[in-house]
Amino acid sequence: MQVVVTVVTFRDIFQNEAEKKSRYSEDYRKLSAQITLDKQDMAGLGVKDGQNVLVKNDVGSVVVAVKASEDDSHPGLAFMVNSPWSNQLVRDDVCETNIPGFKGISAQVSPSGESVTQISELFQRMKAQGA
Amino acid sequence: MAVCTGCSLLCEDIELTLKTGAISQVKNLCRKGHGHFQALFTERIVPKIDGQEVSVDQAITKAVDILRNAKHPLLYGWSNSALEAQRVGIDLGKKLGATIDDTSSFCQGILMELVLTGKLPTCTLDDVRNFADTSVFWGADPSNSHPRLLSRFAYYPRGSKRQKSYEEERNCLVVDVRKSATAKLCSNYFRVPPGGDADFIASVIDVLDGKIPKYGDKKRMIELGTILRKTEYGVIFPGVGLVYALQDKIELLKTLVAKLNEITTFKVVPMVEHYNMRGFNQLLLDDSGSINRVSFHSGQVTHGPENSIMAAAKICDAALVIGSDPLSSLPFGTAKSLAGVSLIAIDPRRSLTTDAAQVVIPSAMYGLEAGGSAIRMDGVRIEFEPIVKSDLLSDEQILARIKEEI
Repeated sequence: MQVVVTVVTFRDIFQNEAEKKSRYSEDYRKLSAQITLDKQDMAGLGVKDGQNVLVKNDVGSVVVAVKASEDDSHPGLAFMVNSPWSNQLVRDDVCETNIPGFKGISAQVSPSGESVTQISELFQRMKAQGA
Repeated sequence: MAVCTGCSLLCEDIELTLKTGAISQVKNLCRKGHGHFQALFTERIVPKIDGQEVSVDQAITKAVDILRNAKHPLLYGWSNSALEAQRVGIDLGKKLGATIDDTSSFCQGILMELVLTGKLPTCTLDDVRNFADTSVFWGADPSNSHPRLLSRFAYYPRGSKRQKSYEEERNCLVVDVRKSATAKLCSNYFRVPPGGDADFIASVIDVLDGKIPKYGDKKRMIELGTILRKTEYGVIFPGVGLVYALQDKIELLKTLVAKLNEITTFKVVPMVEHYNMRGFNQLLLDDSGSINRVSFHSGQVTHGPENSIMAAAKICDAALVIGSDPLSSLPFGTAKSLAGVSLIAIDPRRSLTTDAAQVVIPSAMYGLEAGGSAIRMDGVRIEFEPIVKSDLLSDEQILARIKEEI
């Protein structure tokens, strides 16, 4: 099972507060490593609130927890807090303005039995491939 | 009274009592500001070279070696440094022949350039409080990004020309892809699809011209046109959502604002995130003619997308990052490039960037441990004093030493 979504990133004051305490904290990971999905998309995937999903595209992939949207219906549209997790999916080959597409990330979402990606793993990916 | 450097509102009315290791009493801090002040006590760093703890002097000397030997050094960050540090940083860039860029390069830069060069009319937040009867938050969610904007200036307070309650005298409109926290409490919310802002602007211009709008809910667009026409003093607060949606079509916003000003008064105040991004943009503009993305290579001043952090990260051989965590905030590919070069991080606290840096130099937190000045999101200069004693060097002092040794 898989759904294709456009991910729009946003700011969250609670995540920001957690980041100020520690970028390496459990609170920061919980508030960052999640994707808000429309209930119709969740039903299509067979996932419930809090279950993990793999979000991937040709840039990268992360395992994050699902949060059920409380907004009006928006199938195909997903939201992630701006964080190192969402940035794994953002293209860096950008248009002439050189502004990355943080607000319109095309990605596939599928159920995952894996645990949520840790920030240490994200860091290792940068270091391993940056070396 | 303390000044909060947690966002570009630079709130000057903070009252707090600090005890060892904690804030014991506080007044007027928002949740974001409280987190910022608490950061004084968490994840502080020590000077390091290649992961080994060293003295500050050794770390600075190593940073000088790296920058001196680099052919294409990049200096990046700046939005969380005081004006005094930014001034030294620009001079350091010239001395090194470096590329210099700040966080505006991938957020509000193209909009800020229009404001700072007088191509978009703007006003102060005090003008907003005193005169504005319509505030439009477009692709912006101040309840999460600038938590006290609505209570201090844009919606709830009474002002010299706005003496009645906000329900009677102020309109608060939100245009956004997402029904944000701000959208839930404002009087009118208009949903746009991702990337649909250009069409939305075209529709607003249509209704202002008395035409039937081509896009969106026609009835609601006409209602919006009526609100805008009846406005005496309006302010648009564009957030990164609008900037990202428009990108090279940012001229459309100029067209809309010009159209609105044929009818009434409308100003634009960009929703700058970091507390002194506007300060850096103004300093660099005054110095080089450009607000960001500048190269001083070979003694020539050039400006363009090739000098943006996105492009420069791929070609630089050394980078000095100050008060910023690009490894967290930039796309994976750019973060990966930066992680692979000789990296110098100047920061008060631990981050992915300091973890990846070859040289780490701890700095004092501005507004808490170091004094200085900054430019608020609306262009007003704010001075601040340290509220706790610290032996840590400020960004300005660290940069001055690097510049002197080079």
